[in-house]
Amino acid sequence: MKKENLNTNYGITWCPGCPNYLILESVKQALSNFKHEELCMVTDIGCHGKTFDYLNISGIYGLHGRALPTALGVTLGNPNLNVLAFMGDGALYSEGIGHFIHAGRFNPNLTLIVHDNQSFSLTTGQATPTSQTGFKTKANYPELGEFNNPFNPIRIALASNVSFIARCNARDIKHTAEIIEKAINHRGFSYVEIIQDCIIFNPEMNNKDKMMYKVEDNSDKKIAEKLADEWDYNSKAGKIPLGVLYQEKKSILTDKWPQLSKLENKGVGWVKR
Amino acid sequence: MKLNILIGGKAGQGINKISEIVSEVLISYGYFTFNYRDYPSLIRGGHNFNILCFSDKRIGSIESKLDFIIAMDENTVNEHKKNLKKDGIIIDYKKFESLGRNLNIALSGALMKVLGFEEDVLLKIIQKEFNNEESILAAKKGYDSQERKFNLVKLKNQVKILSGSQAVSMGAINSKMDLFIAYPMTPATGLLHELASKQVESGHMVFQSENEVGAINQALGASFTGAKTMVGTSGGGYDLMTEGLSFQGMSEIPLVLYLCSRPGPGTGLPTYTMQNDLDIALRGGHGEAPRIVIAPGDPIECIEKTNEAFCLSEEFNCLSIILSDKHLAESEFSSDRKPNKILSVKVKRAVPGKGVVKATSYEHDKFGNTTEDAEIARVSADNRIAKYKKMKDYCKKFEMIKIFGNKNSKNLIIGWGSTKTVILDAIEGENFKFLQVIYMKPLSNEIKKEMLKAKNVILVEQNVTGQLGRLIREKTGLKIDKRILKYDGRPFTQDELKKELLKNIK
Ligand SMILES: Cc1ncc(C[n+]2csc(CCOP(=O)(O)OP(=O)(O)O)c2C)c(N)n1
Ligand code: SF4
Repeated sequence: MKKENLNTNYGITWCPGCPNYLILESVKQALSNFKHEELCMVTDIGCHGKTFDYLNISGIYGLHGRALPTALGVTLGNPNLNVLAFMGDGALYSEGIGHFIHAGRFNPNLTLIVHDNQSFSLTTGQATPTSQTGFKTKANYPELGEFNNPFNPIRIALASNVSFIARCNARDIKHTAEIIEKAINHRGFSYVEIIQDCIIFNPEMNNKDKMMYKVEDNSDKKIAEKLADEWDYNSKAGKIPLGVLYQEKKSILTDKWPQLSKLENKGVGWVKR
Repeated sequence: MKLNILIGGKAGQGINKISEIVSEVLISYGYFTFNYRDYPSLIRGGHNFNILCFSDKRIGSIESKLDFIIAMDENTVNEHKKNLKKDGIIIDYKKFESLGRNLNIALSGALMKVLGFEEDVLLKIIQKEFNNEESILAAKKGYDSQERKFNLVKLKNQVKILSGSQAVSMGAINSKMDLFIAYPMTPATGLLHELASKQVESGHMVFQSENEVGAINQALGASFTGAKTMVGTSGGGYDLMTEGLSFQGMSEIPLVLYLCSRPGPGTGLPTYTMQNDLDIALRGGHGEAPRIVIAPGDPIECIEKTNEAFCLSEEFNCLSIILSDKHLAESEFSSDRKPNKILSVKVKRAVPGKGVVKATSYEHDKFGNTTEDAEIARVSADNRIAKYKKMKDYCKKFEMIKIFGNKNSKNLIIGWGSTKTVILDAIEGENFKFLQVIYMKPLSNEIKKEMLKAKNVILVEQNVTGQLGRLIREKTGLKIDKRILKYDGRPFTQDELKKELLKNIK
């Protein structure tokens, strides 16, 4: 299917120069390799969530922090849809963190794309669980900034047995598109963490390209843990490995449920059972 | 004839089995039974009891005075002796202490003998239920320990036993529900278990979510694809779901929700009953959007109204709430009424898989695109309200209220939900008309007419503030001054309610 068919004529309202434009382009490149009518997206609330209006595919613009369970629900309703969830770091790691851990456990067949700009941007720049210590925001004690250390979401994904874990650089459109395509082709829960600058609210953490390097697709958990620890999200020191950091084949939610397997084999959702 | 039997013991001793065995025999003889279950929130030990009331006429409640105490421990006798009638009988565990876990079977046998059943009736059911030598010996030992006091003759009634949970499950399956999503919470868990056990034969799916927030969002995701979807919970879980209910109102993804109340606020009395969640059922969730709230009053109505809820949700892409409580969900009712014909539930909306279909929690234009346009916002809000008017009209084809008792009486009782059957028992032979409200939203226009015809209007509810009374006042401008409210977590008994009702018409 042609990439142009994914466009809408809705006017884009992201800040000029926001890397969300680049992520959208990567997503379109990746999706052009799939049947558009079988695609279904669920977007969260935040700057990233506006993707909903910019992609001409079916989907739900859900609640803040809940795109992941909503997307899981779509796979329960029709295991033959190709499901994508778009979330921000605030949405997933703060409001919706519990769902993330459980998605690792349920292993639904869907792809989660995280626009990690280390900031709650649409609410004008408060600290998220991946923001650096000292991040000065309007919600912190004046001058002292964010007190907490960020957590490492790749570590959480590994601990939650997520079956596909990848990290990308929003600025590298081609590589990001390739990884998203791999994530969609992975049968199971695929998690793609995209490092994105917010040029308005957390410029201190912008421009990390020099720290980044690409790794070969990996399926060794020990190596994945080492790769995860190379960057702690807290500073611009260390190295940031990009690529498929971990991938594992295991049975998915659809395989475990006789009812869903039947729908999958028939190529239908419940509505046609 | 009517007898009121208390069966008590520690959690885990198997008192429910006694109720089950005796009830099964009673209904096979054409008697009506009602079994109330009273248990604290613990798994082993403590004090649990059932009150099994049976009669040759329809019955749906218990009495406060007991004809029998069947005691599996000393505590049961001590707790309930004060309620035993003068000629009441205690059958206790003492003679059967050597039987261990077959004590409940022996006590079933003993009770069956006193009621006058032949030994082979007892042995047949024990064989069917357990089919082992020990159990049969225990049943015989119990049977032989007593003298016959009654002689129950066979009646012609065709009676079936059902709990509210079982009945809601039947209503959902009749509606060809595809998915049920829930997180465990008493007393809504009964439906989760019931539907889970029926997956193989009926083909639907039951998914236990990570929490209620997950459940409601998963349900909306699934329903978006065209799956007929239901969620189930109690008050606390419902609170967690309310953001999702509000999302439903904006996205207009059809959804059926089962809300089974227990006494709050907070964790409250988890295993007891109360009608204290009508307010949140009507309004839970931010913003203004239409919805349906239906409160069935007995299991047969649970079957019918759950079916109506699915129809309404698909017809109007709306939220339909089935409002129940612990007393209706977990008590075992008996009935000789057949449910109405099953309504077929049709999914007519566009679903993903073909063209582009969008649903959204933002205000949106007709293509599902996000908008903040003032004119579209106003028109969309008007459309949501206009839809509610259509829903209200459509509901008129269903029984939104029912009238019972003396149709010409000026003494009008208004009640809803699980108090229905006890009100019916309490007004038997007295000069009352009973108006049962079944549709709480929309509310029937008939209610005002009935109230204006009456001299005495009496509100009966199991909550502290009279939530239905407040709703009626809001919709009709009429205030109900006479109120019988109970809020100790225990259901009304028929004799106490009757006394209260009579006081209000003196
Ligand atoms: C329940 C709820 N809480 C809070 C909000 C307000 N809110 C809207 S967007 C947002 C933060 C978004 O941050 P993030 O997910 O990182 O996305 P970004 O804007 O950075 O892309 C918040 C808190 C909301 N919409 N719903
Ligand atoms: S605030 Fe930041 S994330 Fe949001 S559109 Fe602007 S640059 Fe992008």
